[in-house]
Formats: sequence, C-alpha cells, structure tokens
Amino acid sequence: MTLKELLDQTGWKLATPNLDTSKEISGAYCGDLLSWVMGNGDSNQVWITVQGHLNVIAVALLREFSAVIIADNAAIPEEMIEKANEENLVLIESGLPSYETAKKLVELGV
Amino acid sequence: MFYDLHMHSCLSPCADDDMTPNNICNMAVLKGLEMIAVTDHNSCKQLPAIDKVAKNLPLRLLYGCEIQTQEEVHVLGIFNELGKSQTIQKWLDERMPNIKNDEDYFGHQYVMNENDELIEKEDRLLLVSIDASIEETIQAIHDFGGKVIIAHVLDRQNSITTQLGFIPDGLAYDGLEVKTNEQKLRVLESHPWITEDSTYWLVDSDAHRLIDISEPDYFLQKHVVRELWGDGK
Repeated sequence: MTLKELLDQTGWKLATPNLDTSKEISGAYCGDLLSWVMGNGDSNQVWITVQGHLNVIAVALLREFSAVIIADNAAIPEEMIEKANEENLVLIESGLPSYETAKKLVELGV
Repeated sequence: MFYDLHMHSCLSPCADDDMTPNNICNMAVLKGLEMIAVTDHNSCKQLPAIDKVAKNLPLRLLYGCEIQTQEEVHVLGIFNELGKSQTIQKWLDERMPNIKNDEDYFGHQYVMNENDELIEKEDRLLLVSIDASIEETIQAIHDFGGKVIIAHVLDRQNSITTQLGFIPDGLAYDGLEVKTNEQKLRVLESHPWITEDSTYWLVDSDAHRLIDISEPDYFLQKHVVRELWGDGK
C-alpha cells in the first residue's frame, strides 16, 4: 500500500501537503521513546507517535520510515513541519489515539 | 566550591520523608559541601523553609526545581534568588495538570517549615509532565532569571537521550548533568556538535535519601559559579 492509498482510505490529514505520497508502506512501528525507536524501527515503515518534537524528523530519516503518523491530536510545532518539508518526510495526523491508529492500519492490511 | 545541585526534599513523593529542610542542609554541611540546590519535581514550594535554614549555615543555597516537560524530559531550573523560584512556581501552577496524589502509591508530598514541621501537603501529584515542551520550559526558566541544566542526560528514564534520542543541536541549555566522567565522554562522542567547552558539565547526586547526597567529590571553580549564578551571600 502507498501513503496516498492510506490517506485516501482513512481520510487522515496530511500535514505536509506538498510532498509526494507515492511511497510504499512495508509495515508500522509504534513508540514514543525516540531512543527505542532509533534502535528498533525498520525502513519503509510508518511510525506512530505522540512526540511532537524536531528530533522525530531526524529519527524518522535515520530509520528511513515512509512517514510519521502523529496520533492523538498531539501538537506538531511549526518548525517540525518546516523540517519535514525540507527533508521530504511525510507527516500525517490520524486524529486517533495510537492504539486506534494501529488498529486502522491492521484493518487496511498494513 | 564542592557542590550538589540536584536533590529532592520530602516534597517530592519519591523522596524519603526525612529529607527535611534541616536534615538536608545539615547533612550537606557535614559532608563538606559548600553549595547545594534542592530540586523537587515540578515545585519550588519547599524552598522558603530551606532558605531560612541555610542562612544560618556555612552553605550557599541555590533555588531549584526539576521540571518534567511534555516530552517527559527532566530539566533543572536553578535560580540564584528565592524570589525568582517563587515566580516560576506560579508558572508551574498554571502548567501543572490537576491529578490527585495517591500517597499510598507515590508517597507523601510534605511541605515543611524551617523547624521541620509539616505545614502543607501538596495535593496534586508532582510526578507528571507539565503542559510545556522542552523548548518552552527552557525559555520560561531563562525568562524568570534561572539557568537550565538538562538532568541526568544518559539515564534510562526521563532523560533527554531516552525521550528524544539525542541532545538536539542548538537547544538553549546552560549545562548538562552526567553521573560520571565516563558519561561525559560518551555524550561528547555521540554528539559532534557538543564540545567540552561549549557548555557547563555537572555531576550531581539526584539524592532521594540523606545518605545519597554527594560527598565533596565534585568541584566548580568560583568564577564558574559567578558566571552562572553570581556572588552569594
């Protein structure tokens, strides 16, 4: 499944509307301790987190995630969106808690 | 000056009840420390009593708190005047979620007077994240005239490296707290944008029990103390 298909099927909000969403999703990773995610995430996963911090972008690039999904309406600082745009990293807001966000991904076969 | 700038009084639920103003200050003097800061979780309410006790002792007191940010990172705000700490207390009160402390589970949150008598029980649980990001918290500490020390940067719990993966370049802290010199080397090795001279390095006890307050092992030059917090009494 591509990011675009995910967005079409969930109606989740794209926080970086100018970025390409044709990337494939290989799976998902869920976590808010960035040190942990740095050590355990895999490339092309979407990463579900509530951490709205600039370091999230660096960790996502390091793990080569397809996108970051910010769950639970956690605040995303403006500088984080700017950096995501700069680094070509897709940011999505699910508007759902992490568990419900993950459930939705499972339903869609991710 | 031999120092220990990170310890908890009986106001912190996780600290021993005998971490009272007199016990802390006298233990610090007995151990040969010349400067301490008491840094309770998200609160400066114990500091007026500790200030009164320290005034009669050969001890320089700095006025601190250990703030837990939204990212669950622990940050020390350390002030050189009691008044400044009581001003940031108002900001903390506004940013603190109203979750009632469960004494049986978390422990007591006692505010004592200068005679170690209980004058208030803090009702709201202090072991929480306040409603402010790490950047907002750093800005607030600076706005209220304090210095920012990022607490126990390599700890497994509530440290900046656990919560945020690494210490971001450009974060406006004044100092980094480590547990050992070896930790300092690890921080330097993993953060090319941090150099030994680019910040102040502190080693504190993070004592929750009297016995754990530092021995006179860690020393700050007087000019460094002056740069950070000015001259004392």
